[in-house]
Amino acid sequence: MTVGFGPRAPGALDSIEGNAPRRTKPRPRRLGSIVWWIVFLLGFLYFFVPLFATLIFSLKRPPFGDAFVTTVTDSELLGALGYSFVVAILTVIGSVALIVPTAYWVRLRLPRLRPYVEFVTLLPFVVPPVILVFGLLNTYSHPPVFLTQTNIGNDVLMVCAYIVLSFPYMYRAVDTGLRSIDIRTLTEASQSLGASWPRIMWSVILPNLRVAILAGAFLTVAIVVGEFTIATFLGRQTFAPFLSILGDHDPYEQAAVTLVSFGITWIAMGLIGFIGRGSRDRIQVAGAH
Amino acid sequence: MTTTRSLPLLMTLGAGIVLVAAACNGGGGATTAPTGAAGAASWTPDAALLASAKTEGSLTTIALPHNWCDYGDLLTNFKAKTGLTINELNPDGGSGDEVNAIKQNQSGGQGAPDVIDVGLSFGPKSVADGILAPYKVSTWSTIPDSAKDKDGNWYGDYYGVMSFEVNTTVVKTVPADWSDLMKPDYKASVALAGDPTVSNQAISAVWAAGLSNGGTLDNAQAGLDYFKALNAAGNFVPVIGKTATVASGETPIRLAWTYNALSDNDSLKGTPPIKVVVPKTGIFGGMYVQAISKYAPHPNAAKLWMEYLYSDEGQITWMKGYCTPIRYADLKARNVIPADIAAKLPDTTGVVLPTLDQINKASDLITKNWATTVGATVK
Amino acid sequence: MTAQAAPLSGQDGPSARPVRRRFSWAWLGLLPFGIFSTLFLVIPTAYLVIGSLQDKTGAFTLANYSGLADPGIVDAYGNSIEISLVTAIGGGIFGFLLAYAVINGGLPKFLRSALMTFSGVASNFAGVPLALAFVFTLGRVGLLTVFLRDGLGIDMYSSGFSLYSKIGLELVYMYFQFPLMVLVIAPAIDGLKKEWREASDVLGANSYQYWRRVALPILTPSLLGTVILLFGNAFGAQATAYQLTSGLIRIVTIVISSQMRGDVLFNPNLGYALAMGMVVIMSASIAVYSLLQRRSERWLR
Repeated sequence: MTVGFGPRAPGALDSIEGNAPRRTKPRPRRLGSIVWWIVFLLGFLYFFVPLFATLIFSLKRPPFGDAFVTTVTDSELLGALGYSFVVAILTVIGSVALIVPTAYWVRLRLPRLRPYVEFVTLLPFVVPPVILVFGLLNTYSHPPVFLTQTNIGNDVLMVCAYIVLSFPYMYRAVDTGLRSIDIRTLTEASQSLGASWPRIMWSVILPNLRVAILAGAFLTVAIVVGEFTIATFLGRQTFAPFLSILGDHDPYEQAAVTLVSFGITWIAMGLIGFIGRGSRDRIQVAGAH
Repeated sequence: MTTTRSLPLLMTLGAGIVLVAAACNGGGGATTAPTGAAGAASWTPDAALLASAKTEGSLTTIALPHNWCDYGDLLTNFKAKTGLTINELNPDGGSGDEVNAIKQNQSGGQGAPDVIDVGLSFGPKSVADGILAPYKVSTWSTIPDSAKDKDGNWYGDYYGVMSFEVNTTVVKTVPADWSDLMKPDYKASVALAGDPTVSNQAISAVWAAGLSNGGTLDNAQAGLDYFKALNAAGNFVPVIGKTATVASGETPIRLAWTYNALSDNDSLKGTPPIKVVVPKTGIFGGMYVQAISKYAPHPNAAKLWMEYLYSDEGQITWMKGYCTPIRYADLKARNVIPADIAAKLPDTTGVVLPTLDQINKASDLITKNWATTVGATVK
Repeated sequence: MTAQAAPLSGQDGPSARPVRRRFSWAWLGLLPFGIFSTLFLVIPTAYLVIGSLQDKTGAFTLANYSGLADPGIVDAYGNSIEISLVTAIGGGIFGFLLAYAVINGGLPKFLRSALMTFSGVASNFAGVPLALAFVFTLGRVGLLTVFLRDGLGIDMYSSGFSLYSKIGLELVYMYFQFPLMVLVIAPAIDGLKKEWREASDVLGANSYQYWRRVALPILTPSLLGTVILLFGNAFGAQATAYQLTSGLIRIVTIVISSQMRGDVLFNPNLGYALAMGMVVIMSASIAVYSLLQRRSERWLR
């Protein structure tokens, strides 16, 4: 087992990045390459044809592209979308802060509790949002914790509800990520070098979980932007309620907005991924044999 | 075709006539007297009520889409005339959502509605649940007795009629009646505007279809049979008809309230052109009611809002949204309806409005049997 | 393969006083998560449990649970389970293939980040916009339908296909199932170290043997876990199905919604009981998953 600092020793993480340096003869071309291209093409068609059909519909209102012009000049849309994004980012931060240490701790110290923690994180899946929000309202719509009294209180309640909704995805992604790195060794090595727990989390564990956390973050942002029920019941004008109302009186603009918001969210994800590409100097473990 | 006129309709007409006579003698209460044929006087809020509403500062409404009966204008004008702000909750909500919102926010807060606009059957239900505060608007006497709770807990506001919303680019021969929809011309064309186990509008469509098919207000089974046949003929599209599906041609005939269909026509601006057809038989009316919540955080603002809605100006604004307001007979008799608005209102002669008992019975029947009667053939 | 360092926690049985203290220390680490979950998840769920045992007046009753035996409701559960199972397995298989294609399949690298970010968005593209997108594509006058009919002479609808059926619904569900699978399985595919493939090649194994003996056993716990996730995801979906079938295909989430919110049916307590049924089904599937996971994790030792 080797632990390397400084100039990057080739290791497992390089293969995650897809940056494995060539050190042996070029790998023989696997027959499957064509197969994978076909798989990708099928996926591409499946995903894009419905979007294309939506585009065709949205262009039907004369003059050509009018629905998009209305979209771009719709200030309410920008407000709702912006609001949703802010809420999404807050949710991701809260979710990562809560889940990563928990998943790590459970794996490291309390493996017998793992099924129970997993069950709790999977609960939001099973409880329909309608029922979750009813329960939240029953609890927090009166003293002692009268969160729904003010707008800020409702916002807090909504972010917390969304953090809960992100549990299954974030935990599953982080857990899968943790599975493929040797946290015991990393932790021991760090501790033997005198690192404190926060330092271990921040400098050792988190960087190694980048891929997993990004996956979880993507899912969380998408959930928040697309979430309708909880936002509606808490009276928050986020994107999904806005889109729904829009459809009732302007289906062409609704189709255009759907596509535009799809595009914007996609770009936002790309930015998150790009920013998350982060620093290169970190501790690596070159695979445990 | 029903063989007997419904009692409520007779009472409405009768009450209207009697009350017109009374109104000629009595005063108008807080609202100013009508100025005559040119148009109704615009509403000015009662000073005392306005002052107490102003200390509350805002009004919380729920489930009022802006293009439903022109609530958009009502909300804007109310804000302008009173200086209050309005917190609009859940525009997409249904009557069930409105009642839930009251029940879940009894301590007030941002999510507690002051006023609700719900289906007729929710009036008495809410009284039984004890969540309403009674209030009689100044024009109370001009509201037909059959359309209000005698203690003032709820009061009818407007009604519409079940109609066909037709995309005339796709549908060349416009159907005139329920029986026409069965023709092979309309293969895979007809859709409901909602889920009949959930949405009042969809249930009403099923019920209305039955009226022309041998059913009565007391027995909605004929409506279920009608849709079973429609589905078997391949004319029924089991998707929720929305403006988008009408426009795209997927559901070129949608069964919706006249006011929804007509406002769709306005918002689509001719792409595609929409024709709204009130069927020749089975003319079914659906009424909604207003109420003030017992736990309203802004009770005086709520009362002011009601005064506005039931003033001449408020009622006429509803007409602008193609809804027939509950004081229609009174307004017509006093000749205060502007001619252009009166012209746009669909012709609803012959409309039958069901009683509460009939509504409960029919809803029960349709919601329980929809999936099994009609759904059996949809795999 | 992996030489485990000695476990840090006191797993090797109770000893003297240090173990007791260690245990309470470790539990503290779960405190933030525990508090948060209690406040925002457990308490609302408690309302669910309590509500399912009450009637409208608040009195204790088991009537809601006996109401679950109603054939319409049993049918709804059956539909939900069937649709969720089909989309979980189908979504799992193709999602895995798609993820593997961009990660290890020799495709250009930018496609990987494109697919990941796209999956992030698509995994929550649901409800009315998704349903409408498919109506515009595969509805009776949809783009693809018309193209196939007028361009290639294939009339889908007269051959019995309909978007407004269980098959159609499942097809639409895949739109958020594939991306979810891709996103969640990607870290696991990344964990398939290249060295293992190279070692397997060096030892003379062909692709099939590699997959059968090395890759799949390692991936199985993650695959299973993710398929369960997909199952739950489909089970809990509601808005899309509602729009697409206007309630004619009864699934549990729509029935719950109509009990909690409908204009007409209005028995929230029955809704709670239905939701409890959902919790039971999901707990059963999680239990199955845990069992399978424990079995297959032995491969990693």
